[in-house]
Amino acid sequence: MLGEVSSARIAALWSRRQILTLLVTRDLKVKYADSVLGYFWSVLEPMLMAAVYWTVFTQIFSRSVGREPYLLFLVTGIFPWYWANGVLHQAVKALNRDSRLVRSTNLPREIWVFRTVASLGVEFVLTIPVIAAIALAYHNEVSINLGFLLLVPLAVLIETILLVGVGLILAPVAVVFPDIERVMRAATRFLFYASPVLYGVQDVPHAFRNIYIINPLAGIFDLYRSVFFSEQFAGWTATMVAALNSCLVFAIGAAVFAGLERRILKEI
Amino acid sequence: MLPAISVRGLGIRFNRNRKRRISPKDLVLRRAAPATEFWALRNVSFDVNAGEAVGLVGANGQGKSTLLRLIAGVLLPDEGSVTVNGGVAPLIEVTGGFVGDLTARDNIELTAGLHGLSRREIQSRFDEIVDFAEIGDFLDTPFRHFSSGMKVRLGFSVITSIDEPIVLVDEVLAVGDRNFREKCYKRMEDLLSENRTLFLVSHSERDLKRFCTRGIYLRKGELVADGELGTVLDRYREEDVDPDDPDRLRPARDRPEDEDQEESS
Repeated sequence: MLGEVSSARIAALWSRRQILTLLVTRDLKVKYADSVLGYFWSVLEPMLMAAVYWTVFTQIFSRSVGREPYLLFLVTGIFPWYWANGVLHQAVKALNRDSRLVRSTNLPREIWVFRTVASLGVEFVLTIPVIAAIALAYHNEVSINLGFLLLVPLAVLIETILLVGVGLILAPVAVVFPDIERVMRAATRFLFYASPVLYGVQDVPHAFRNIYIINPLAGIFDLYRSVFFSEQFAGWTATMVAALNSCLVFAIGAAVFAGLERRILKEI
Repeated sequence: MLPAISVRGLGIRFNRNRKRRISPKDLVLRRAAPATEFWALRNVSFDVNAGEAVGLVGANGQGKSTLLRLIAGVLLPDEGSVTVNGGVAPLIEVTGGFVGDLTARDNIELTAGLHGLSRREIQSRFDEIVDFAEIGDFLDTPFRHFSSGMKVRLGFSVITSIDEPIVLVDEVLAVGDRNFREKCYKRMEDLLSENRTLFLVSHSERDLKRFCTRGIYLRKGELVADGELGTVLDRYREEDVDPDDPDRLRPARDRPEDEDQEESS
């Protein structure tokens, strides 16, 4: 019964994939077309953050974690972090922001979460050339690991699954429990320090590492970073745990969303 | 032949309270309905065959719009089922799909796309949509600068251009000035002549008689009469005893031709 329902749902979603493309194109158009510096803005924020952390941790504090060149080490973590951070903040508004659209169309409601993850994901992918440019500037100090470069799509896929799952939980819960928006601010800050952005997975003491990699972002960011810093790769266990936990979050998200859908349609 | 719309034991309940608290427990357990909930619709069953034109009558707050939304699939039932064979063009909240910051051009593409039209279909119908809505000079104006009349015209125009066999109409016929209203009627009649199924909610006896042959009467969320429109209207008139309710059914003769513009939302 449940399997039947969810396969019908997947079919319904697949048949509306054009609409997802439409919504994502619309989001990017609004973001990029409305200001001349559209693309620049979407890179500026994470770059500024990287610049701040680089200054603090190379010029002010002495630092024993991470790798050199630290700027490249930072951006390989901060850029994918920005995608996750954006989803966490926007997923809570995914249904409320366009409540009139949600109310007037009978699209599978999951599409509003997919749209949030996809729009921000496309933005993340569009910022990858900036990482490449920074790597190029340091070409004397770093080398590219081709094997890990080929695994970047896998990292993007795992992160997508994770973020869709998180979005499917947050979006409906935020409709019936609006306070969650405020909770998210604290939660993302905590998650930022609990993820390998400023430091690498290998900098985490051995004693905690097994617990640490339960956070799927650990394995995901580690995979991205190993393109340039393969010597600090934390191992395939972290990758596997990240993939499994992401699928688990996705399954929980699908169940929560299905369970609350009826209710949120009455509320929005 | 399969009925176009099949409604079986339909029920939906809403919370009477404004507050919409949820405890983490609700996420896990499905609990029995608390006492603050009431059934907006219950035990409603009927079939509508393809090509039938059904008028839904009843005073305000008796579940008409809720039923329409359930058929449109923008609400989900707590009990029973709604089966719709074929696509639905919902003329409910016709301006709902529009985004204030986007231009009319972008909005037409977005809304038509959300209702399932392909890019090519949108392109081929674009001029017709613009002509019908009479907004030719404002194509590149942001939607939020539109007057309320223009908004509704554009909404009506877009939704009636999505080519679906089932058309749901919630009070939108009473919009715009007299000329536009006539255009709407004309468009509705064209749609009906192409053997579409119509489901109309209206307080206007004239509109109901003009388009519908069958009536369904809802009271307190229950279906009390279903049959030939004239009979159902008679029954409704008998029971609809509150003369102070401004929204009670208006007999055709009471409705002046040059009635002021009405807003429906």
